[in-house]
Amino acid sequence: MSEADLILYIVVGTALVFDFTNGFHDTANVVATSISTRAMSPRLAVGYAAILNFVGAFISLEVAATVADAVVAADAITPTVVFAGLIGAIAWNLATWYFGLPSSSSHALIGGVVGAAFAAAGPDAVLVDGVVGKVMVPAVVAPALAFFVGVGAIVICYRMVGRQRPGPVTRGFRWGQVISGGLLALAHGTNDAQKTMGIIALALIAHGELAQGSDPPTWVIVSAATAIALGTYSGGWRIIRTMGTRIIKMDAAQGFSAQGAGAAVILASSHFGFPLSTTHVISGGVMGAGAGKRLSAVRWGVAGNIVGAWLLTLPAAAVIGAAADGVVRLLGNGAVGPVAISIAALLAGAFAFLQRIRKGQTVATG
Amino acid sequence: MSVALRELLLAGAVVDVGALLETVLAATVAGLGVTTTFSLAILGASGSVDARRNGQRLQSAAYAALAVLGVLATLAAIGFGLVVMVR
Repeated sequence: MSEADLILYIVVGTALVFDFTNGFHDTANVVATSISTRAMSPRLAVGYAAILNFVGAFISLEVAATVADAVVAADAITPTVVFAGLIGAIAWNLATWYFGLPSSSSHALIGGVVGAAFAAAGPDAVLVDGVVGKVMVPAVVAPALAFFVGVGAIVICYRMVGRQRPGPVTRGFRWGQVISGGLLALAHGTNDAQKTMGIIALALIAHGELAQGSDPPTWVIVSAATAIALGTYSGGWRIIRTMGTRIIKMDAAQGFSAQGAGAAVILASSHFGFPLSTTHVISGGVMGAGAGKRLSAVRWGVAGNIVGAWLLTLPAAAVIGAAADGVVRLLGNGAVGPVAISIAALLAGAFAFLQRIRKGQTVATG
Repeated sequence: MSVALRELLLAGAVVDVGALLETVLAATVAGLGVTTTFSLAILGASGSVDARRNGQRLQSAAYAALAVLGVLATLAAIGFGLVVMVR
């Protein structure tokens, strides 16, 4: 095995770890609505979401194509640059998680890769049209669209069935949530898993294993689908334990409207190849379903967090990605840099995790 | 030409406005359409039960038909959306 092969394996492994953490982190967004309205039991909701996340990864490759072809010039970069971008994204996610800052894994991933490509190959390596047109503008439009679709959906629900007896209506919308929650999980799987597929495809192109413009190989699709599904399933147990404390209160019609709006926007965007922050879109749908009932029911602080994440994530992850690329190059052109940084990242992650748990225990007991 | 207009035109040149508008249209039609058909299904199911309790058999049957149509339309819309995506 050559050093280039070793670097490629490290990139693929790191990308799959990123995918796993994405699923782990986002389980709450996908299942919280179904659980809070009692449409599904927590165990069922988590298992169902994990399966549909897996299935969702197979229904489209448009987002993967955008990440692989429209963000950075694949022929101008190397697997080491892709690795530095991933480290930028992971480091930013870790830092924002530790300090409780708003963030978006998807934007961090794209920001990290853009920053690393810029540092390694100069401004020509960054496809500005793609970054602005395929990532930044949809990042602003999609949550707002989910908000308005959520408002429209809940208004339709209340207008059409508002005068019916509440019991059957609630039961009906709970059944509806089985469908809308499933679609949301499917949508999450397709958009988020494809980002990982795109990153791995980018590394394969840079390594010379894959022709530019080709679809990701089947093993990439299956492994990305498996990683996000396992992440979703693992993250679910944390949700089950903390349930009832942090979940938004809403009725079944609102849950159905919020999930339907989120799923519609994510699936439509995925079809046109827009890599979105699924968290932001789902939050937009939830806020819309809340605002359609009562404006004061909306947690406007969440909207502030989304704006904060928009402003912070892309540039910050880009700077860290560029710095990671610099560090990798300082350690030479071989596998030493990626290996050393992987070990450092694992240690930093473990340290931050332990510190966070210790802090959490202090708060809980103090 | 004002700076704002120039920036708008520049953004328009970079963004695939057609794809973005299609996304907005598809998401709006899908989100609101499925909500409407499923709400019709609930209206039909609920109305059918109430009419049956009141002894209005014909009305109950009509509501039941509305419920079935609503469910079928919802499933058809979702199926159509997924087929379009997979293709």
